Amino acid sequence: MSTPFSFQGALERLRAMRVWRSIFRRGPARTNRTRSLAIFGNLFLHFLPVKVREKSLRVRASYYLGSISFLLFVVLVVSGILLMFYYHPAAPQAYRDMKDLRFVVSNGVFLRNLHRLAAQLMVLLVFWHMFHVFYRGGYKPPHEFNWVVGVFLLIVTLFLSYTGYLLPWDQLAFWAITVGTNIISAMPVIGKKVRFVSLGGNLVGENALLRFYVLHCVVLPLIAIVLVAVHFWRVQKDGGLTVRENDDGQGK
Amino acid sequence: MSEAQNKADGKDGTVASKTRATRREFLNEIASSALGIAGLGSMVVTYQFLSPNVLFEPPTTFRAGNPDLYPLDSVAFLQDQLVYIVRTEQGFYAVSAVCTHLGCITRWKPENNLIECPCHGSKFQSNGTVVAGPAPRPLPHFAISLTTDGELSVDKLEIVRADQALKV
Amino acid sequence: MTDKENKYEAGFSSNAKKDPVRVVFITKKTSAKVTGDPGQQVMTYPHLLMREAIAFMVLVIALVAIALFWDAPLEQLANPLLTPNPAKAPWYFLGLQELLHYFPPLVAGIIIPTLVVIGLVVIPYFNVNVQSKPLWSEDRKHTLWIILGVLLALVLLLGYTRAWTVLVPTALIGALMLYSYFAAAKSSTKREYFRTRPLSWWIMTWFILVAVVLTVVGTFFRGPGWSWVWPWSPHAS
Repeated sequence: MSTPFSFQGALERLRAMRVWRSIFRRGPARTNRTRSLAIFGNLFLHFLPVKVREKSLRVRASYYLGSISFLLFVVLVVSGILLMFYYHPAAPQAYRDMKDLRFVVSNGVFLRNLHRLAAQLMVLLVFWHMFHVFYRGGYKPPHEFNWVVGVFLLIVTLFLSYTGYLLPWDQLAFWAITVGTNIISAMPVIGKKVRFVSLGGNLVGENALLRFYVLHCVVLPLIAIVLVAVHFWRVQKDGGLTVRENDDGQGK
Repeated sequence: MSEAQNKADGKDGTVASKTRATRREFLNEIASSALGIAGLGSMVVTYQFLSPNVLFEPPTTFRAGNPDLYPLDSVAFLQDQLVYIVRTEQGFYAVSAVCTHLGCITRWKPENNLIECPCHGSKFQSNGTVVAGPAPRPLPHFAISLTTDGELSVDKLEIVRADQALKV
Repeated sequence: MTDKENKYEAGFSSNAKKDPVRVVFITKKTSAKVTGDPGQQVMTYPHLLMREAIAFMVLVIALVAIALFWDAPLEQLANPLLTPNPAKAPWYFLGLQELLHYFPPLVAGIIIPTLVVIGLVVIPYFNVNVQSKPLWSEDRKHTLWIILGVLLALVLLLGYTRAWTVLVPTALIGALMLYSYFAAAKSSTKREYFRTRPLSWWIMTWFILVAVVLTVVGTFFRGPGWSWVWPWSPHAS
């Protein structure tokens, strides 16, 4: 029964190597102990609990809306970073770069489509997620604060979408942002000042484009990542996803 | 020592109002205030940093050419300055073309004798008075004057009353 | 395989009894974690993580498939001197823009969104939302008068400001609430469902309905000058 090459055998030999064992110390996750360590001992995954309630895994429970929102965010970050390699946040070069992406850059059309599609979907999903959590009663104690964090995440998502909207520097972008910033100036007392600092001037111009670019690519994503981390952490600490009796699909 | 003094005050049965802070509390207050002032100062400095002092925006004073270019009872839309030069029997007005509702650029519709905004349907007379739509204020008038060599000059930073006309 | 000189080697054949490795040390009230009825539990790895991985892959496939064919728009270069007609915000703000048609910018643009955000944030801190008792469960007549009063005030205010696109969904929800009031107990599952909805459900459903109607109107029924257009007519945007 000697096989010339066995994948499993190669894997076992790899795992036995000293270099491998210096990096991955826990061993394959086959026992409950090593599976616990896979979550608990992992920098990126320890937001999650080691065990989850089986009912909360069902699609019907959450429709995975929150997960999909986060996954869309990941898609946006990756596609966004790629797009950044060709985009100059300067008027009118930004518009020329959009044309470049469309006609000249390999897969530029696809990446921009992906980014915009994921952005629209993420706004939709985040709203849907919020309404779904509300109707399930997932905001009730002890989950109150996580609900508040979620509302702030909604606002950050809307601002991310709005700042990104200006970046193509076409008519659609320019006037949508003109109207929006004029609404801001309607705020009592501080409105005009807030508009001035947001735009970096009195008009929607080059300063505004650069500021919105910095907000869109640096400030707001950082805030979003921090809030997402808190949001996930609180799910775990507040006792896990809300489950209801009818989550296995029986009854209403 | 002062800590014991405070505790003793309480146990006497007298009204135990702490009139003296302990050294630790005092130092904490000083440190927190200093940090607070530093934090506030940081915010002020950041706000000042983010508020530009120099703007590369188009000049706000411009020349509008010879008055004879504008016939009587006409409205001329200067698109690159976003101003209407209106000439009536009373004289010349320079009316802003930016809608007072949310900043969209209006258009002169001679067939209706009205200035109309495409965004939410605000309509103005040629002197800026609102006749329809959600615009809250009439279109502002800019100071218009005559230069020494006889050309019209408009200053968009100076708002004048709507009844002030330049007589040429 | 235990190497006596290297004490830190875990490996998959380490003897847990001989060299015990502490994974986690739990005492009674060590963490700030909320305890509750755990119910039937499974390990996160592999059950949750595999499901998330599958969700991610399905999502990516769907996104890529659509992105290959649906092009993002790109209009002409931004021109500060020329406002397109109509000038519309992104779809998630179109509801707000429709609201701007009826109310001044301070109200529709600042006050209402602020109130909405504050309203959302405080939901879990109101007892009535936590208990979620059916609206008509106690003090039926008393509650009915209050609801009727609020609805009437809203309808009058919206009529006075001619905010038809808000008034119509409000009236619909009002009608549904009255329907739920007059539904006898256990008449049909649908009536039973509405009869047992708590106040928080009604308010949120009203909010969602108004927001959806405003957004749909702003997207499809508004043309040049924000005038009313029918979506099937040629110049609608």
